[in-house]
Amino acid sequence: MFVHSFTANFSRSIIILVSMLFSSAINAEQKPYAPETIDDVTIVSAEQVIDMILANPEMIVIDSRKKTEYLKGHIEGATNILNTRLKVEDLKQLSPDKNKAILFYCNGSRCLRSSDSINKAKSWGYTDLVWFRGGWKEWTEKRLPVVTD
Amino acid sequence: MKIESLSIRSSTVAIFSMIGVTAIVLSLFAGTYFKQAALDAQIDSLSRVIEVASQEMLKQVKDRTFDLGMKLGHSRELISTIDTGRPVDTNQLVKLLDDPFVNGFVGFSEIDLEKIRVYNLELELIGESNTGPENLGDELAVYIADIVTNRKSSDRLKAIDALWMSPHGPLFSTLVPLGGLRPVGYLEIIVNPVFNLPDIGNITKTPVRIYSMSGEQINTNKQAITDGHLPVEFVLHASDGTPAFKIAGYENIDELSREMDQTQIVTITGFLLLSLSTLLFALWLFNRFLFAPVSRMITDMEQITHGKLELTVNNKGLREFHILADAFNSMTDQVRMRTNDLQRLLDLDDSALACFDHDNDAVYFNEGATSLFGYASDEIIDLDSADLFAEDISLLLKDAAEPGISQQSSLHTQLSCKHKDGHVFQSDAIINTVDVMGQSGFAIVLNSTLNNAQEASTQSDQRLNVVEQTLSNLLAFAKDNPGVMPGLGGLGLEDAANAESGSQKSQLREYVVKIMNLALTCWEHDLGKTKLELAEESKIWPVYIDKSTPTTRTLDKYLNIDICPKNPRSQRAVDTAEFVLREAQQTTGVKCKELQDELDVFRQLLSGIKTRGK
Repeated sequence: MFVHSFTANFSRSIIILVSMLFSSAINAEQKPYAPETIDDVTIVSAEQVIDMILANPEMIVIDSRKKTEYLKGHIEGATNILNTRLKVEDLKQLSPDKNKAILFYCNGSRCLRSSDSINKAKSWGYTDLVWFRGGWKEWTEKRLPVVTD
Repeated sequence: MKIESLSIRSSTVAIFSMIGVTAIVLSLFAGTYFKQAALDAQIDSLSRVIEVASQEMLKQVKDRTFDLGMKLGHSRELISTIDTGRPVDTNQLVKLLDDPFVNGFVGFSEIDLEKIRVYNLELELIGESNTGPENLGDELAVYIADIVTNRKSSDRLKAIDALWMSPHGPLFSTLVPLGGLRPVGYLEIIVNPVFNLPDIGNITKTPVRIYSMSGEQINTNKQAITDGHLPVEFVLHASDGTPAFKIAGYENIDELSREMDQTQIVTITGFLLLSLSTLLFALWLFNRFLFAPVSRMITDMEQITHGKLELTVNNKGLREFHILADAFNSMTDQVRMRTNDLQRLLDLDDSALACFDHDNDAVYFNEGATSLFGYASDEIIDLDSADLFAEDISLLLKDAAEPGISQQSSLHTQLSCKHKDGHVFQSDAIINTVDVMGQSGFAIVLNSTLNNAQEASTQSDQRLNVVEQTLSNLLAFAKDNPGVMPGLGGLGLEDAANAESGSQKSQLREYVVKIMNLALTCWEHDLGKTKLELAEESKIWPVYIDKSTPTTRTLDKYLNIDICPKNPRSQRAVDTAEFVLREAQQTTGVKCKELQDELDVFRQLLSGIKTRGK
């Protein structure tokens, strides 16, 4: 009885594992692009990001990538908050004023983290949201200054 | 070389051979060019691989220098040393710039750091590390300076990389802003690329040698170079386009050469086999549809030309040959009809007409003559003028030709004629000299109507002229087609015009007489039979009844060299000898053995003469 149950569980586990592997492979093949636009959100290029930062030193820049990625290099002055961990309290702490400009970025056009963070911020009532859609990929390709910790 | 001596077959074979040789030469050339092209492609390919690998190598260097530049560019100590608003503390600056040389940095072992220099925003040199070459100059490389100068606002924050020519040789620099997004100056990280160039070989998995542009070897990787390695040179240019390094990559072409040789052999062999089989097939087709029909036509035509007008040329063949054969057959029909017409004309004439050649042998009798003399038409070929006339015709003609005796073109005379049965009768005759096979012969017209001289009217003369003309036409045609006239079929006369024919004819006559005598001896001794029995049993020789006595007049001529015809019928001699040998099969007489040997020799002689005659 026990043996039979163990065999059945083991088989199920194998099937699930194989299914996961296949699905991850398919996901990798079909990894979606970030949306081209998000309503009421300003999309900017790397150069515009620099101009905005230089023009508004108080502007909040949020890096939506993982911590490890952030530590390898990020835009000067950026705060690392992973999209899944972004909470309204964190955002309130960074910017109590919901009309203040907040810039989000992640790894690039195939990264959905920053768009997810923006959608959250938008749902929480933040109005001046700026999206650097090209993200880290565009920044490093243009060999712009990075900060490593 | 005369074109007539070339046959279609030999020309075609020669052309095909030339095509075959050309195919072989071309395939060998193609093989060589193919090999060279493959090598060129390989070299070109490796050259591009080296180019890509060198770019990859520079990218790796670039990443390292950028990382170092960013690290130092955000160093607060360095920024504060520069951005004080007061004159820069040079010692402090040099100390900070020397720090990476002393304490190392991430990726220290991956690049050969030569120098670190700091510029203000106007690109003026503020300070540089003590470590590294001293005389690099006070200015930024022109290529980098131009780029920075031409950039506007935020673009100036982008790092710039360049391979440039310094007084110490090619160096690689990365210029980054010092101070991050709010720069207070620029930081230049200078490395020696020679250190990283062997990485190209590691990327391409091939041995590489690095040379300066002056040709001096300055670096290499660890991979060994063998005789099977093909050097491929690539020039790495500085960012401004100046040649910086010569990189020789070595591709192992042993495997490639082996495969190319194999491919070359297979390709050439296949091509040649295909070409040769195609040529052979074409040759077979030519032989089947061209050579064989032409050869058959030629054989038929030659036989027809030699008088066998009853034959036709085989018209089975390609359209052109079919048309040719039909045309030839049609022409032959016309010739046959015309010849028959001529002969019929002569046969229909009231006169007895006989024609003799230069040797007084009869060559033609019309029907009037055969009935007048009592001989069958096939018997005339064994007759000469002495058999038919008591007078010497040649002598008569000679006398008539003497000046003053007669002015007439023909000789009117009376001749004593000998009938086959032996009785002699008188007949008036007109003798004309005629051309027989290019030699002087004569034609005799015998006619009872000529008895009365007064009856030899103008009308009769005209008729005789027509007869003579007809005979001349027949003889002229027989000159090229001896088979037309029964008396002209002999071998000797065919070659009469040849200079060699005299001796050949003489030799032939001697052999004919020899063979005939041997045959008769064998017949008489081994079989115990008579000459008359030989003539009767063999049915080769006619038996005449002369005053109630059977005689073998013609056979007798072939037994005596003095009276043997000038143009003996050699086939008769051969037939007689074969008949005797056949009859004497059971016996083993010495004479028969001798006859057999001589017959073999005679056949060879005949064969030789016929071959030369052709």
